[in-house]
Amino acid sequence: MNKVLRNLGIPILSIVLLLLTWQAIVVGFHVDSFIAPRPLAAIASITGNWSTLWPLLLGTIRETVYGFFCGAILGISLGVVMAKVRFIQKLIYPLLVLSQAVPIIALATPLVLIFGLTIRPIIIVVAWIVFFPVTVSIVDGLSHVDPDLLNLAKVYGAGKFRTFWQIEVPASVSPLFSGLKIGATYAVTGAIIGELASSTGSNLAEFQQHANANFNTAAVYGSTILMTIVGISWFLLVVACEIWATPWLRRSTARRRRLRLRQAVAKR
Amino acid sequence: MSTLLSLTGVSKTFADKVAVAPTDLTIEEGSFVSIVGPSGCGKSTLFNLVAGLLAPDAGSIALNGESIIGSTGHVGYMLQKDLLVPWRTVRDNIMMVAHLTRRVRIEDRDQAEVLANRYGLGEFLDHYPQALSGGMRQRVAFMRTLVTPHPLLLLDEPFGALDAQTRLDMQRWLLEVWKESGRTVLFITHDVDESIFLSDRVIVMSPRPGRIVADFTNPLPRPRNFDSLTTMEFVALKAQIMKLLYGESHE
Ligand SMILES: Nc1ncnc2c1ncn2[C@@H]1O[C@H](COP(=O)(O)OP(=O)(O)O)[C@@H](O)[C@H]1O
Ligand SMILES: [Mg+2]
Repeated sequence: MNKVLRNLGIPILSIVLLLLTWQAIVVGFHVDSFIAPRPLAAIASITGNWSTLWPLLLGTIRETVYGFFCGAILGISLGVVMAKVRFIQKLIYPLLVLSQAVPIIALATPLVLIFGLTIRPIIIVVAWIVFFPVTVSIVDGLSHVDPDLLNLAKVYGAGKFRTFWQIEVPASVSPLFSGLKIGATYAVTGAIIGELASSTGSNLAEFQQHANANFNTAAVYGSTILMTIVGISWFLLVVACEIWATPWLRRSTARRRRLRLRQAVAKR
Repeated sequence: MSTLLSLTGVSKTFADKVAVAPTDLTIEEGSFVSIVGPSGCGKSTLFNLVAGLLAPDAGSIALNGESIIGSTGHVGYMLQKDLLVPWRTVRDNIMMVAHLTRRVRIEDRDQAEVLANRYGLGEFLDHYPQALSGGMRQRVAFMRTLVTPHPLLLLDEPFGALDAQTRLDMQRWLLEVWKESGRTVLFITHDVDESIFLSDRVIVMSPRPGRIVADFTNPLPRPRNFDSLTTMEFVALKAQIMKLLYGESHE
């Protein structure tokens, strides 16, 4: 109970503190409400516009999630190939760095020209941002597996395939999640950049621009809050997956259900 | 007793460094043989040659009369690092070789459980290795070596990282397991006491180039206990080995 309180309570406390600071600054310095609204006004603009915002929010979530998965799958595949084939690693690494040096905003517009006003260019922008940290972390993980462990497998005559699945993959799970977590935080940024470039007239980024043009500052801040919530939620989901996938980092014994499953598989 | 392992004229050079000069060695089936020597004298290289991780530049290596040069899957192998994988439980770590080489069977699980129960780790079967002490982890690593069917076990300084107390416990435990298992053990150590306490033969190696300089038959009777460590035979043999390793004493 104490642990749950600390793990949940402290982050909530820090968010409350942030909101209070915001409130204090706006009130204390007599900031005009169309320069910066009070936190409650920003939140009220979300609940007040909920029927408009909800479908836009769903769209942003969809772009973030689809883009994340495309980027993760691309990143993992590329990383595995690069870690396994030295030549390809040397060939691709410069391109990899190049891909991230291109300003992503400058990339979004040509993508929209190619793919039109669909969700596709947005997904590509998100995937473009997400795949990089994933690839780097996978290459790192796979190339830092303990060579003594690999030798041990070799001594016992283990094949390449089994060594890969039994040792190299599980040893790379933690590094992989470092990459996925970075990707998860940036995914929503990619989605918003993509939305700005694609300008379909019905997405969260454009809602914000529209609100800005109408001096509806509360709605501007409200949509920023929504975007941030998408980013945080997705990050937390990835963290939850990590906790589920790496029980040995937190527990001293294996989960019962997992054991019974293994037993059943072995019996068959 | 019949010959299990025989090395004839085996040598290995890295770049221009002779790690193992032409070496002959014969190991009897069921025996416990220790190799002592300063670090860098080619002990681990010798093991890697026998394990098949390295191929010798010259010479022959035969197990039960058949050449095993450059081929793996013939011996049990254990290092100072326990090399337990953190993502598997004690049970699955013991079964690691099965996981690595073929489909796991229910007998593998049973075998792992029987071993763990017999040697006092039964209640830790579902634990992850990170929850275990250094001594317990080395026990698990040894059980992982023991469940393989190989008659020859190569142990490369397995207790080198343990504290003195745990190391003594592990030595007695190893002798017990060795006697029950009937395996042949080749054991590398830099601890002369350990080599004498455990083995039937103590082989002394010397560096530059790595070679065998002496091969002692241990007169110490079995079963051995702590009293064995203070007998005349023990001290006499230790003096001979120390002289080879460190030269004449400076008085
Ligand atoms: N893979 C290798 N490449 C180059 N040199 C090596 C390699 N393995 C061992 N050596 C060298 O061979 C010598 C013997 O090493 P090793 O067998 O590990 O010694 P020991 O186990 O007795 O301490 C050392 O000088 C070491 O530097
Ligand atoms: Mg060594």
